[in-house]
Amino acid sequence: MSRDRRAPLPMIAGRFCEDSVPEYKNFEALKKFLNGSAQIYSRKRTGYCSQCQKALKQAVKRARHVGFLPFVG
Amino acid sequence: MTLYEGMFLLDNAVVREDWKKAKAIVADAVSKHGGAVQTSRRFDERRLAYTIRGKNRATYLLAYLEMAGEGLPGLRRELELSERVLRYLILRVEQIPAPELELAQAEEVEGFVVPTPPQDDVVEPEAAAPTQETVEDMLAEGEFVEERPRGRRAEKAAEVAP
Repeated sequence: MSRDRRAPLPMIAGRFCEDSVPEYKNFEALKKFLNGSAQIYSRKRTGYCSQCQKALKQAVKRARHVGFLPFVG
Repeated sequence: MTLYEGMFLLDNAVVREDWKKAKAIVADAVSKHGGAVQTSRRFDERRLAYTIRGKNRATYLLAYLEMAGEGLPGLRRELELSERVLRYLILRVEQIPAPELELAQAEEVEGFVVPTPPQDDVVEPEAAAPTQETVEDMLAEGEFVEERPRGRRAEKAAEVAP
């Protein structure tokens, strides 16, 4: 019996941090790093390194603070 | 003196009256605490992702200010108490980006008019809530239909049935 094996989802920012982390002002670009509940995707999904993921987290939190992005989607 | 980038959410009621007056709210607060606004421009007017101080829309003012660090707590306190500034975000930056200088200068040109902000309860067409698709609708359309048996019992039953 074979089980379903789903193909891994593509990394949003490409591999090895190809795309730079968007600023909090560029909230349209930040939206693609959030799921339907406005939670930030993990590094596995974004494709960012540790530093870039931290920068992404900071940018999303700033965008949420000024009302560009929701806290809960 | 340190350079800071400030994003200020201004009440649309003040912007409707006069844009220069709205800009002066921030400039006056900064100068009161020993700073100076280098450039400021209207960043956007948009619907907020969530209600802030009972408002659904606000005008964003992006300003670059130079001030000493000692004046910052006082400025923050004043902005917190101001009813015309809904929210603010102040960050330290190394330099003013070149595009920002150009955009701020474009606003200084004679004849620059700030569009009147819409009323607070106006819903943009693209911001309208998507229609909720119920599970019954999905089942009626044929989604989530089991195409293959799941589990050993179901598999055995499927093998026996034909």
